[in-house]
Amino acid sequence: MVREIFSQRLEDLRSEILEMGELSQKMLVNSVQALEHLDLELAKNVIEMDSIVDDLEYDVEKATVHLLALQQPMAKDLRLITASYKIAIDLERMSDFAVNIAELVSKIEGEHVIPLAEINTIASITQMMMENSMKAYAENDAELAKATAEEDSQVDRLFYSTWQKLVNLMIEDAALIPNAVDLIFVLRYLERIADHACNICEGVVYIATNQRVNLN
Amino acid sequence: MSKNEINTNINIKDLNLWYGEKHALKDISLDIPEKSVTALIGPSGCGKSTFLRCLNRMNDLVKSCRIGGEVLVDDENIYDKDVDVVDLRKKVGMVFQKPNPFPMSIYDNIAYGPKIHGCSKSETKKRVHKALEDAALMGEVQDRLGDPAFSLSGGQQQRLCIARTLAVKPEILLFDEPCSALDPISTSKIEDLILELKKDYTIVIVTHNMQQAARISDHTAFFLHGEIIEFGRTKHIFEDPQVKSTEDYITGRFG
Repeated sequence: MVREIFSQRLEDLRSEILEMGELSQKMLVNSVQALEHLDLELAKNVIEMDSIVDDLEYDVEKATVHLLALQQPMAKDLRLITASYKIAIDLERMSDFAVNIAELVSKIEGEHVIPLAEINTIASITQMMMENSMKAYAENDAELAKATAEEDSQVDRLFYSTWQKLVNLMIEDAALIPNAVDLIFVLRYLERIADHACNICEGVVYIATNQRVNLN
Repeated sequence: MSKNEINTNINIKDLNLWYGEKHALKDISLDIPEKSVTALIGPSGCGKSTFLRCLNRMNDLVKSCRIGGEVLVDDENIYDKDVDVVDLRKKVGMVFQKPNPFPMSIYDNIAYGPKIHGCSKSETKKRVHKALEDAALMGEVQDRLGDPAFSLSGGQQQRLCIARTLAVKPEILLFDEPCSALDPISTSKIEDLILELKKDYTIVIVTHNMQQAARISDHTAFFLHGEIIEFGRTKHIFEDPQVKSTEDYITGRFG
């Protein structure tokens, strides 16, 4: 095998992206769980994890610059490097949204006055999209990436129906407004996370096939 | 002609070449687009320089060499018996790996070609000046045309060799690794020059520098074991090659 060092560096880059993916997923799952149980300790833990993801994104950026400057990558290597860098940016944004959800936990006083069933459904679809987009990246699987991005329309549908439901609740009972507004924010964050998962899927299709597709 | 069709002025059909028993080029068929840069890439010994030398019959000088097939330049087979090789090499100029100026002055190096082709003194002078301008060397040598060519730097000598080729008004320029002996600054001057020259000339370049091929060529042919494995637009070859061995070679995993 020639270019062993280069191949190792590419493998390191992939590992860092996968690590970012795992951490961001964990942050999403924990933030939703912290929200459901109003678990301040778990929410704090999510907020603290953010700096690890930020550091990893910085590492990916440095590795990208080094690989481009020193190794003159071509073809599939070049696609892997440029798409991975974009994926790192998406993952960092996704973890920021998880932090936003976690930060809301301390704002909610007392207990939830609105059932969280729809929020939990959207969260589990979003989390599955995140997991599968990273699986597609790990396995260089364009078909899985495309199938994963298709789930986004379900997230969008649930986003609008739940949003409408929350608006109706606020119209009916002004006392529900503070809690409902918080949940509207959570809805929005989850919907954005799903959009970023679609961006990751687009990156995977590009790496695997050299095709630019719009899956969002 | 449709918009997508490209004019070609070098058309190779079923070209085979043997050095004694060694089958060095195998069934090469290729149409080289005119007024653009075509890069030939591939590992050492793959046949790319041999192929380049076929385009102006430089292999005629190799005793054990046998050639079959056709190389058409402007629809004329250059291997036909009645082809004048001197005229052919005037039409198809060549620049080599190492700059090889003649041991004479800068001016005389360039004047040599026009003179032996019978140009008058005034016509020769005109051509020397035009060639120096076109080879982007005039600014650096205009006050010292009588100096020995060897007083120039390597990069200047290589541009002098290009000027010498241009002075006989060729149509096609063959470059055999023209920058491999040059530093990065001289290399970038030659690359800029090649991009300028392609407006008027058809250029074929052999290079081991993959980034150079990617930077300056419009089309790229990947050679391996005497065959063309893949030919296409440079963008496609370097971004999305269709054959695995091409991908392995350009990503440096060949071996």
